[in-house]
Amino acid sequence: MKNRRLHIGLLLFVLIGVLPFVSAFVYAVLYSVGLAGVVNDGFTLRFWAAVWNSGEFLRSFGYSAGIAGISVVVSVSAAMWLTLQFKRELQHRWLSFVIYLPLAIPGVVAAFFMVQLFAKSGLFSRFAYHLGWIAEAREFPDLINDPYALGIMLAFITIVTPFFVLLFLNVYQNERVAELTELAESLGANKKQVLWRVTLPILLRKTWTLIGLYFIFLLGSYEVPLILGQESPQMLSVLIIREIKQYDLSKISEGYVVAVIYTIFVSLAAVLLFYRKKSTTDAG
Amino acid sequence: MRVNWKPFVLTLVVLLTLFPFVYLVLLSLASQWRFPALLPGYFGLDNWRTIWASEVGLVSSFLLSTLISLSVATVSTLSGFLISRSVAYHPRKRLLTLFTYFPYLLAPVVLAACLSYFFLKLGLFGNVTGVIVAQFMITFPYSLIFFSSFWSERTKSFEELVFTLGGTRRQAFVKVLLPLARGMLLICFFQTFLISWFEYGLTSIIGVGKVQTLTIKVFLFIKEANFYYGALSCCLLIFPPVVLLYLNKKYVFNKLV
Amino acid sequence: MMLLNESLPPMRKFLLLPVMIAVLSGLAACDTPPAEENLIDATWETIETQAQGSVVNFMMWQGSSPINDYINNYVVPEVKARYNIDLRISGGQGPEIVQLVMGEREAGVAKGQVDMVWINGETFFQLRNIQGLWGPFVEKLPNSRFINPEDPYLSIDFQQAVEGMECPWSISQFALIYDSARVAAPPRTLPELEAFVMANPGTFTVSNDFTGMTLLKSFLAELSGSPTGLDGPFDEAKYERLSAELWTILNRLKPYFWKEGKTFPKEHSVMDQMFASGELLISYGFGEGGIEDKVRNGLFPTSTRGYAWENGTILNANFFGITYNAPNKAGAMQVIDFMISPEAQLKKADPNGMDSNPVLDVSRLPEEWKAQYEAMPTRKYGPSMSELSVRSIQEPAAEYMIRLYDEFRTEVIEK
Repeated sequence: MKNRRLHIGLLLFVLIGVLPFVSAFVYAVLYSVGLAGVVNDGFTLRFWAAVWNSGEFLRSFGYSAGIAGISVVVSVSAAMWLTLQFKRELQHRWLSFVIYLPLAIPGVVAAFFMVQLFAKSGLFSRFAYHLGWIAEAREFPDLINDPYALGIMLAFITIVTPFFVLLFLNVYQNERVAELTELAESLGANKKQVLWRVTLPILLRKTWTLIGLYFIFLLGSYEVPLILGQESPQMLSVLIIREIKQYDLSKISEGYVVAVIYTIFVSLAAVLLFYRKKSTTDAG
Repeated sequence: MRVNWKPFVLTLVVLLTLFPFVYLVLLSLASQWRFPALLPGYFGLDNWRTIWASEVGLVSSFLLSTLISLSVATVSTLSGFLISRSVAYHPRKRLLTLFTYFPYLLAPVVLAACLSYFFLKLGLFGNVTGVIVAQFMITFPYSLIFFSSFWSERTKSFEELVFTLGGTRRQAFVKVLLPLARGMLLICFFQTFLISWFEYGLTSIIGVGKVQTLTIKVFLFIKEANFYYGALSCCLLIFPPVVLLYLNKKYVFNKLV
Repeated sequence: MMLLNESLPPMRKFLLLPVMIAVLSGLAACDTPPAEENLIDATWETIETQAQGSVVNFMMWQGSSPINDYINNYVVPEVKARYNIDLRISGGQGPEIVQLVMGEREAGVAKGQVDMVWINGETFFQLRNIQGLWGPFVEKLPNSRFINPEDPYLSIDFQQAVEGMECPWSISQFALIYDSARVAAPPRTLPELEAFVMANPGTFTVSNDFTGMTLLKSFLAELSGSPTGLDGPFDEAKYERLSAELWTILNRLKPYFWKEGKTFPKEHSVMDQMFASGELLISYGFGEGGIEDKVRNGLFPTSTRGYAWENGTILNANFFGITYNAPNKAGAMQVIDFMISPEAQLKKADPNGMDSNPVLDVSRLPEEWKAQYEAMPTRKYGPSMSELSVRSIQEPAAEYMIRLYDEFRTEVIEK
């Protein structure tokens, strides 16, 4: 009886949790080698060769990884600093609600908001105009759809930093970092030592997996770069969807090639993070 | 004597946090706001009044989004809770959980693009059911991972205690497991609701523009360069979660790590 | 992955495979032949009766508020009142429509997601390629008698004969626009454009979308030496020669483009904002430049003017098609017939509304309508099509567009 229930549970798990992913992957592989799709006519590796030769995938990958990496590092640092500086203040009744508010802002809204603030005819450009810094809208610096992806990173940092603040605050309390700090100080450690040897290691080791997860999430994010990105290079999801939805039907398979590579990368990352997580949970 | 900078920085942080909310509300009340004017040409309730005009379709989008997100959150929370038990008590627990991480980490929009063939085949393309099923596929792994920590040795021993004392499976579930998991169920519901409420890419692909949730509307207005309606739909998008946050913030983060 | 499979518990390995096979083969099995085609021979009365009280799904590009306004606040309520038809609009243009229909073909979906689509040449070309359209249906529509079948702009779409497989809705010319208060003499040829961007760096760009590519086709035609230089079927050698020349010119001018040509706007709607804020001095668009409503709404200054390129800009029509697997072909025909009715076309031409040229031949209209069409108010700001059409060119074959799209990215944006 008990076993049967567990088996039904497992069957459902496979059906909902595993089958869609596997089907999507198999379909993408088939499409990428010309075995699926109305305009394709049989097995070929030319799409793989085309993607490889164009170099666009690698550019896009590097670009996405760079953006995601910088955003995560900046967000984690900022969040860490805020947490350590204001851990007491942020627990006040009113503030403790305010810091949850950013969770209500999705990527779409953050991107829209960035456009409103930083576009050449946006709010800051208007201020600059009235302060006499610029005489025309086009003199305002490029902050969205710009070559350095400043707009994308700004939006990411805006979304992710509040999350990490909450996370670090939570770990700080749960892991009793305050007590440990006191203990270390009473044993003669100075402030710097406490920070680098006690506080940071505890907070980071507990949150390492989540930081990794956020890197992967940002790497594959879609709405924000769709609104704030430029035409080339593009972030991975935007590139994949553009290739899959393009005018030239004969090249759709190239989009699936990129999708397959991206999926493999994400799966490998899952394996890595998963084993990482095991070691942290074992330790903690 | 050193000036204490902390209050200033803290005030700044609070202002920055509140700024988007205030600004979006103001923008939703404005129109005819051209560069380089600092103040809009019109400021008032006009945009909000047009919400009720059926052609803009914001009310129906709001209801649709609510329906989709509530269904997705309910189904994924409950199924995740129940099915995670089978996974957690399985000898190969870690391997099974690993499989859950694959769809969890993949960008939903890419998953949707690769799955659209199957959705077409099953008649789940371009309708609300399809969007719910598709969103469920990304919230389910979340909820599964979320509950995996619940089924600990401690929980198991509670269950066994009930059986030892002659309790039935149903009693164990209703009297012990559900109360134990109450907080987690709430958080999971809230989080999966948010994932669904905010979802754009996957919805746009599986819904083919026919299922017009609020996020789809925001994009539509951005494309049309209609920023005032854009701000309006952003307001509709962010304030319900704010209310939900207020209602159960004490639960939201307790169990995240 | 191999290693992981090795360690799968036997039961799971056992489960996964049959489930996958079952689902995949089950999916493959539901290929059904397309629905009955007897509507082709049905009388209009039958079609009308069938259309009554039905739901029609219409997929269209939704990037313009006057167009959305016309559809949502005029067409939708009218067809509801007249035929009790629920017209449901969904957003999607060219490639999205093609992808959807192609996906449905691939999956063998008998009842498609959409009934009617708003398309033009290159989408028509691709839909024809994958047999995604149903028809011919245009002759069945009673109001099609007001359309001149001999008009080359309505009967040939991107050099492909229409043959009743799509029904014309609007016709318009592509035009460039500038603010006459800021620019005395806008460029009308490529050499003039070169001088212009060098004198005014950062004020011109090409949007990486349908609109921008239409501009590039005008450039290509200029390089061919005549307004008719691109007419006829796609000519690979000619394309190679002209496009190479075009990319050379664009790459030479790129440093003087908006943002020094390091990036290009994804969508044309962004350009309107930039033109309004003075960032761009030159913009362009269909519908003779699309000036009227933007001046009226105060987005563009009243000194905005539209003009055609010396060698001509594209003059083309856009159409409605019915998808091959439309679940409600009768309803779609009824709606399309309404949209080409003298009344709906007149309303659509209102300069204070959608401001789009009718496709009806006025000489064919009944007297009462003739009078109304002749008394139609004219535009206050934008040029009329008859003013521009002396400098018009036909849409070249769809392959030109598809190639330009692809290569503008590889040859210019990514360079």
